[in-house]
Amino acid sequence: MDVIDQLNAVKNGNLSRRAFQKSLLGLGIGMMTTPFTASRAAAQDGQGTLFTWGGYDVPELYTNYEAANGALPDFAVFGGAEDALTRMRSGFVVDVAHPCHTDMVRWVQTGLFQPIDTSRLSNWGDVLPELVALEGNQAEGGRPWMVPFDWGGTSITYRTDLVEIEGEESWDILWDERYAGRIGMLASGGDAWWCAAIKAGVPFDQIATEMAFEKTSAALREQRPLVRVYTDDTTTLGQALSSGEMVAAMTWNSTAVELQYEEIPVRFAQPKEGALTWVCGLMMHKDAPNPDRAYDIIDSMLSAEAGEFKIGSYGNGHSNGKSFEKFTDEELQGLGLSANPRDILDAGQFSIPQEQEWESRMNETYELIKAGF
Amino acid sequence: MVSVADTEPIARGRFARWFRRSEAAQGYALMSPALLVLIIGIAVPLIILVVMSMWTRDGFGFDMTPTIANYQRAATEPIFGTLLTRSFFVSGLATFFTVLLCYPMAYYVAFHVHRNKMLWIVLMTLPFWTSYLLRVFAWRVILGYEGVINSAFLSVGWIEAPLEFLLYSQTAVIITLAHAWAAFAILPLYVSLEKIDKSLLEAATDLGDGPFKRFMRITLPLSMPGVISACFLIFIPTTGDYITPALLGGPDGVMIGNLIQLQFGPVNNWPMGSALSIVLMAWIAALALVFLFLTRKAKDHLA
Repeated sequence: MDVIDQLNAVKNGNLSRRAFQKSLLGLGIGMMTTPFTASRAAAQDGQGTLFTWGGYDVPELYTNYEAANGALPDFAVFGGAEDALTRMRSGFVVDVAHPCHTDMVRWVQTGLFQPIDTSRLSNWGDVLPELVALEGNQAEGGRPWMVPFDWGGTSITYRTDLVEIEGEESWDILWDERYAGRIGMLASGGDAWWCAAIKAGVPFDQIATEMAFEKTSAALREQRPLVRVYTDDTTTLGQALSSGEMVAAMTWNSTAVELQYEEIPVRFAQPKEGALTWVCGLMMHKDAPNPDRAYDIIDSMLSAEAGEFKIGSYGNGHSNGKSFEKFTDEELQGLGLSANPRDILDAGQFSIPQEQEWESRMNETYELIKAGF
Repeated sequence: MVSVADTEPIARGRFARWFRRSEAAQGYALMSPALLVLIIGIAVPLIILVVMSMWTRDGFGFDMTPTIANYQRAATEPIFGTLLTRSFFVSGLATFFTVLLCYPMAYYVAFHVHRNKMLWIVLMTLPFWTSYLLRVFAWRVILGYEGVINSAFLSVGWIEAPLEFLLYSQTAVIITLAHAWAAFAILPLYVSLEKIDKSLLEAATDLGDGPFKRFMRITLPLSMPGVISACFLIFIPTTGDYITPALLGGPDGVMIGNLIQLQFGPVNNWPMGSALSIVLMAWIAALALVFLFLTRKAKDHLA
């Protein structure tokens, strides 16, 4: 049957029921099969998937990848590493994921990841060896489980015009009752719990003891009435700080750097008790559907260009030594960084990987405290 | 010799005859696509939920010995009870305000609009063509520290400093829910009001009822089915709502839906999350039955 015939039949109002049903059938089959053909085409040309923190889905970090593959990788975003692990354990398959060193040991234990063949990474030679030689990062054959990518600190971003500092900067700012209702906190226990432990005076090598647990949770409970909001969304914290809704918040380096670009009077504190320092990196899923592109993603993120962008725009450290060459020591100091990561990591307090039992208990307790119990 | 080919058409004919005669079989055949979806999409997950709620978390895996420990925890630990009560309180108020605000709108369209009724209904539901998340974020802009309300009040000079209770509070959650679900109240209310026979109202007036009495004796009882379904349509999904309290609730606005999400996320205790979901479902069912009973009583009383 001709399409024109049918259209004429509709126009004249004499389209037979049978003809109408036939075309409906055709339409139905067409619609059912289109998605299949389309998705098969997409699978052939599928980009690698990167499972990462919010804010890393910017093209500047993937220029090399884009040059090689014609498009950006696909992004999936998480708010906390524990959340990400739960999603992957329930069957979410990605090519590359972006945990931190504290999570790495537990992530490896799940058996969901494969060691990384560093000979396939052109930038591997420039990666700072201190960041690779982390506890638990040696898989068989000298391969690492996690390729370091960024490092930095978790500390307090505060409004210099609204917060009064007596003497040295300290974690006490976030516990100061004068600022009740104007304090922001990170919602993920991976940051908040460790910072509260620093405030409570718990040494990190004893963090798994019962006493440390009680001290830390007591500190968080004491702080809870002062907190305006618990969130992992750095934009929310940044906006609240810039409007004056909050005067101080627990953040990563990037929030302070972004606000300083907007000429808002903030400082990223260097508390006298030490900031929390972290190293995050890239791990490859054992069933990565696009292993070649996975290596392209990792290599692109390790490049010096990506590093310069990361340092300049986010104030985070990068794992490629060459990334620091464009910056003067003064500029780096202003960002709270140094070309020698050990200077910074040792000056702060470096979190130690824990057992799954502890991690679950810690998260559960922090959630209880946030809800007011 | 009887070949297989001979018997087949007879058997098929018998089946066809039975099928044509049996109304039940035809009914099930007609329902089968929906039934299949129901079984795969609702019954099976529900069974998984019930089974899992009796397991115990064990590191990355589960200890599968059946136990009711999770339910005991849900009954004894204060956080669960408090959050459950808060969820019912918040969504109860949200339901109440939504129905209260939507009733006059539906009433107006049903009784006072005579042309283009459909256009009115479409216009009323127009805000709901945007995504739910977008509406929640819109309320963040309205209620925020530098938001629409605060800036307006500040510029008029009614307040000295921005009102902080507007955002990150239970009030914010109630306001947002009441707006976000309004379409689900307007439509059933409109349908039930529209169906009311206008001659009954005339009769009531002829027999001496004033407008208020007429409304109480005729309009309200007859529109009760709409009110009840609107209440259900809003109360049930909002009790377990997750995104509104997460974005607008702040520390004191957390609801049971957020706690369930946490069990499946960072807290990593799926059995507990399943148990909480079941408890929530049971409570909603119980409350719905009570509500149904009370409204039926009230209706009998009114009629």
